[in-house]
Amino acid sequence: MIDFVRIFLPTAVSLAAPLMLAAMGGYLSERSGVINIALEGKMLMAACAAALAAASSGNAAIGLLVGIAAALVMSLAHWLFTQTYKLDHIVSGMALNLVAVGGSNFLNKRFTDLSATGQIPQLPLPVYYVLAFGLPVILLVYTTRTRPGLRMLAVGSDPGKSRQMGVDPLRVRMLGLIGTGVFTGLAGVLIVSNAGRFTDGMTGGKGYIALAALILGRWRPVPAAAAALLFGMFEALQIQFQGTPLLGARLPSEFWLCIPYVVTIVAMAGLLGQSRAPAGLGKP
Amino acid sequence: MTKTFAGWRLIALYAGLSLIVVLLLLGSGVHPAVAGGRLWEGAFGSPQAWRGTLRQMMPLLFAGLSVFIGLRAGLFNIGAEGQLLIGALATATTALAVQGPLGMVLGLVVGVLAGAIWTLPAGLIKAYRGGHEVITTIMLNNIALLVTGALVAGPLKAPEKQMPTTPMLETQTRMPSLLRLDGNNGTVWTLGSPEDPGVREMGRLAFEMNLAIPLGIVLILAFGWWLARSVRGYEVCAMGENPVAARFAGVDTRRTTVAALAASGGAAGLGGALLVLGQEGRFFAGFSPGYGFDALGVAILAGSSPVGIVPAAFVFGALNKGALSLQVIDVPKGITGVILGLLIVAFAAARVREARSE
Repeated sequence: MIDFVRIFLPTAVSLAAPLMLAAMGGYLSERSGVINIALEGKMLMAACAAALAAASSGNAAIGLLVGIAAALVMSLAHWLFTQTYKLDHIVSGMALNLVAVGGSNFLNKRFTDLSATGQIPQLPLPVYYVLAFGLPVILLVYTTRTRPGLRMLAVGSDPGKSRQMGVDPLRVRMLGLIGTGVFTGLAGVLIVSNAGRFTDGMTGGKGYIALAALILGRWRPVPAAAAALLFGMFEALQIQFQGTPLLGARLPSEFWLCIPYVVTIVAMAGLLGQSRAPAGLGKP
Repeated sequence: MTKTFAGWRLIALYAGLSLIVVLLLLGSGVHPAVAGGRLWEGAFGSPQAWRGTLRQMMPLLFAGLSVFIGLRAGLFNIGAEGQLLIGALATATTALAVQGPLGMVLGLVVGVLAGAIWTLPAGLIKAYRGGHEVITTIMLNNIALLVTGALVAGPLKAPEKQMPTTPMLETQTRMPSLLRLDGNNGTVWTLGSPEDPGVREMGRLAFEMNLAIPLGIVLILAFGWWLARSVRGYEVCAMGENPVAARFAGVDTRRTTVAALAASGGAAGLGGALLVLGQEGRFFAGFSPGYGFDALGVAILAGSSPVGIVPAAFVFGALNKGALSLQVIDVPKGITGVILGLLIVAFAAARVREARSE
């Protein structure tokens, strides 16, 4: 029991926090109508930029800001591609992911000073936990109680009618994507500061798991965050049970890592109740 | 009809994208001309370079076809990567169990089937539950990566090897070369001629090509023909254009959805199978460097005609091969990922404008 509180819980929460943040980023984007499969790329770019900036300046705050800025730039590019140039949301998302995988590899290999042993400064973790757990509630209030929040939901469900009512979907989506940039940026910075240094592809599919959590939570902030927390716990379980036989069988770690994806597919099959996407998702 | 964006915006986009590429080359640590030259040399500079380019191109041909089939039916198959991995692993397992030419043929069939079966959850959920295929195929990708990784590190691992890999296939189970070129004296071997046993060992093998790429091109042409000439092909296109109208016109959109995704997965699985039988000779952890993701770019670059897949796969293959040569002069290979991503954006933007102004 003490182990559970002292070891398992902190591990689970620190693994879940970036997922929760990224899921909230996805929430703002998808509820305003932009399909976001580029959460992964935005996190990866943020992680890389934060690592480079923090290591060269030795200042955690600068790392944090540069990381968020990197994800923000990616997010604004996403807005430009999908809204100004009307590119398919899936295509632009995949393109951004490709750019992020390549770009982070390029920047990291080119500009990381191998002779400098300076670690990336650890950021105060409680701040993140407060953000990860507080944000879903704040977003819930924002989207159900405030004018801009309600406008965002309106645009996400029917961009055509919103336009007729005088709400500009493009502007609303820009706000949504700025939020996505900030939150995925935070998530990326958290991942890299937990690990201590940047490695290629270090987000390891967390952006997709966050997307899965968002779908499992049926595009609502609190359930989505709960799903992300659950997925973080599965990941922690994997670390806990690594190598120890369970019910007489030695399960590979991949078994645990698979769970979020399998659960999402089961949910998509409608076995966990209807899961319906916002009506205006992907519409111009 | 939605209003399209103005021409100057397209020019601005291209200027912006080009600027990024220029900055990338300037920041690569070597003179841009040197980097560009190396890229070109690495992809086309010698018979060895050509061999590498074609090896990179081969899986993209099939994975590109896979994504293309989906797009024609109005479906986004983001899962080509997973289908390719599952197909490759199934082929390797089969070809290790049954050796010789029979194992090769059986391996191909199993690879195609495995790739097709892997899409079924996505196809069935799309057809009967309306769940978006993009999400399900992304999830299936991740599952495929984990499952193949676990299997090749566990029950399927070659016991004598340190790394997670299957044993090598027997030579007679692997695809024969169609054409070989000796690097020392320019001797050409073709299929059926006695092969110099020392060629591979002595590094004299300059160029080699097997049947995989011709097979891919034939398959792509056949698919284009089928799409344009057959009733089923017409139904697929009708569904891709407007699924509701197609359903009212009597197309069984549920069955077509499942079948189109399965065909798409089969093509990707075939790519994986041919990678095992024709190039790698085994399955190992980290088997695909992202062929299935590049394939999306290939399919978009290809445009509306399946024939376009061939040059598109060639461009992507050349860039991927060239990147390996850039690594030698310490330019990170990620540079091509950025270029490929930007290429996708550039082409997609041009296509949107074309489609809207029609």
